[in-house]
Amino acid sequence: MKEKIPTIIVVDDDEAVRSSLKLLLKSVGLPVETYASAQEFLDRFDSDRPGCLVLDIRMPCMSGLELQERLNTLHAMIPVVFITGHGDVPMAVEAMQHGAVDFIQKPFRDQDLLDRINQALEKDHDNRAGLKQRDAIRGRIADLTPREHEVLELVTAGKANKVIAGDLNVSQRTVEIHRARVMEKMGASSLAHLVRMVIAAGDETHP
Amino acid sequence: MTETRAQLEFQAVLDAAVDAVILIDDRGHVETFNRAAERMFGWAAAEIIGQNVSVLMPGTDRRNHDGYISRFISTGEARIIGTGREVEAQRKDGSLFPALLAVGEVAKSQPRRFVGMLHDITIRNHALNALRKSESLLRAAQSIAGIGNFELELGRQDSAHWSDEIPRLLGRPKSEVPHDMDDFIRHVVHPDDRRRFERDWRRTVAELGQLELECRLLRADGDIRTFEVRIQIDSGAQGPVATGTLHDITARKLAEEEVRQSESRLTHFARLSTMGEMAAGLAHEINQPLTAIATFAQAATRMLASPEGISRDDLDEALQQITTQALRAGEVIRRLRSFVKNREISHQPVDCNRLIEDSRLLVEADARINDVRLEIKSALSLPPVNADPVQLQQVLINLIRNAIDATLETPGARRQVSIVTGLTPEGLIELAVVDHGHGLSAEAAEHLFNPFFTTKSGGTGLGLAISRSIIRAHNGRLSHRTTPGGGCTFYFTLPTLDALINTNQS
Repeated sequence: MKEKIPTIIVVDDDEAVRSSLKLLLKSVGLPVETYASAQEFLDRFDSDRPGCLVLDIRMPCMSGLELQERLNTLHAMIPVVFITGHGDVPMAVEAMQHGAVDFIQKPFRDQDLLDRINQALEKDHDNRAGLKQRDAIRGRIADLTPREHEVLELVTAGKANKVIAGDLNVSQRTVEIHRARVMEKMGASSLAHLVRMVIAAGDETHP
Repeated sequence: MTETRAQLEFQAVLDAAVDAVILIDDRGHVETFNRAAERMFGWAAAEIIGQNVSVLMPGTDRRNHDGYISRFISTGEARIIGTGREVEAQRKDGSLFPALLAVGEVAKSQPRRFVGMLHDITIRNHALNALRKSESLLRAAQSIAGIGNFELELGRQDSAHWSDEIPRLLGRPKSEVPHDMDDFIRHVVHPDDRRRFERDWRRTVAELGQLELECRLLRADGDIRTFEVRIQIDSGAQGPVATGTLHDITARKLAEEEVRQSESRLTHFARLSTMGEMAAGLAHEINQPLTAIATFAQAATRMLASPEGISRDDLDEALQQITTQALRAGEVIRRLRSFVKNREISHQPVDCNRLIEDSRLLVEADARINDVRLEIKSALSLPPVNADPVQLQQVLINLIRNAIDATLETPGARRQVSIVTGLTPEGLIELAVVDHGHGLSAEAAEHLFNPFFTTKSGGTGLGLAISRSIIRAHNGRLSHRTTPGGGCTFYFTLPTLDALINTNQS
């Protein structure tokens, strides 16, 4: 799959602020999209596209904080940089508690904003890389036979081959063969590696 | 005994006389005592005849009366005869009364006889005393009230009569009080008021009318005092007569001015505190264009430094936007300044729709920061009202601020404040601010317009009290009603400028 170019999405109800941000980001060669309201953004939102959100904390109808809440319930992982007025520090703190990358007070130095945007893009990149890895692990787990799956669970639960053999009512030798197949299929170099992969795959290993 | 015709006539004269007539002989014994004398002294003629007339006199006169007669008889030197004088007389019961006494000698009579005629002047003296009392009361009243009066016969030279208070009021000795109105206008009326005074005076004389005006008069020491002058012209036998009063109203004027100034200070203070409440929204409203300016400028700087070269269109946009946004921020500050500036009240024709437009920038900032929608529903066109635009704007902004505050707890869809203008069936301009908030508690409704009553934590409690007095001063009315479906509507009505002119004319 080809890597998509990350886009900076600006949501601000003030037309002048919006277009000034657009011009600034354009001047440093960053792709940018702007929206005048949270709803307008949500209507076009595609969680598969990499990038970050630059979000005005105060907007009519749906504020930046409310949009952040909506994105959280959608499990959208797009990082958010808030832009705030002078009196909005309590709101900004709340935004940070809900996972915002950072906030910046208006008016701001362009470099400060660009630094925060780069930080957000990095975070998005890491998030997406983690996600890709998780999907890969999940695919490998899905390729295991039911018996191998059982062995995986018991091995990662820390049980010895002998105990597993007893649990599954097979010979210890059979367990060893399954275990070797699991390690191979999962691409695990050690038991510790296997355990890390299972944790990274998350709850969805148990459908 | 038959009486002669002369005797009968004499008796008739005596009986008819209103004054007491008493005849005595050279020793002072009473010979004749007429009916009026009987009434006056309480003696019957029969009782008194033959007694010494001195019984009708008190004190010194009683003791000395015999001496008076004998001195006249021996020296012929008359002290009283032919001149008459005021004396004190005594009734039979001992009470005294003032009388005017005339004494004459009966000619060719032997022994010599004298006639006395007495006129009771009790009533005249009472009247005189009352008059003196009333004059002194009038003088005191004029002095206390700072009022003097005058009378001028316009057809006669030097006919001016000025009351005693006038010299004091004008700070001039009596000799320097003007002798006629021309002199008064030339020397006493303040130069700046002279033309107006003279014009009004001439017109009033010509119309035989009445004049009431306020003007400044000069005291001899150069001090300037404000007077209310009232003059009435009547036609007299010798030509028109002017009667009038001068009333020193300087103290009242100063007090009025002081009240006016403190009211104006209070109103200004209320405006400042309203602006204080709106500070967050206004700061935001200025911060937005500042942010855009800073960002556009930084973008332009980066474009200029960019190796890929400059997009002329982008640079052009950045520069134009910097201008636009700087003007936008300036406009907020301009409106803010014109609202909070302390200035003289000046009434002028005001279009209420225009007033709303002028207030929009300020209240929209407040609405935006509180996430309240502001809706304006104006009548297409409204006749102008006569108002001080800033004071009216103060009332409007105060009502909108209250409406926004009342809406803060209201959920999304109803977070709206509407400003509605229209014409009532009575032809009044109505301006209403409608909210859908929590409405008014019974306590709030009762004390709403009391100064210092407030339901807000940071409120001064002056907003509505001052708003109401501003609207009253504009001949209007400020009140409230429940918004259909919940919430509160505050509204004020004002007469149109035309209606105001028509009332003043009729």
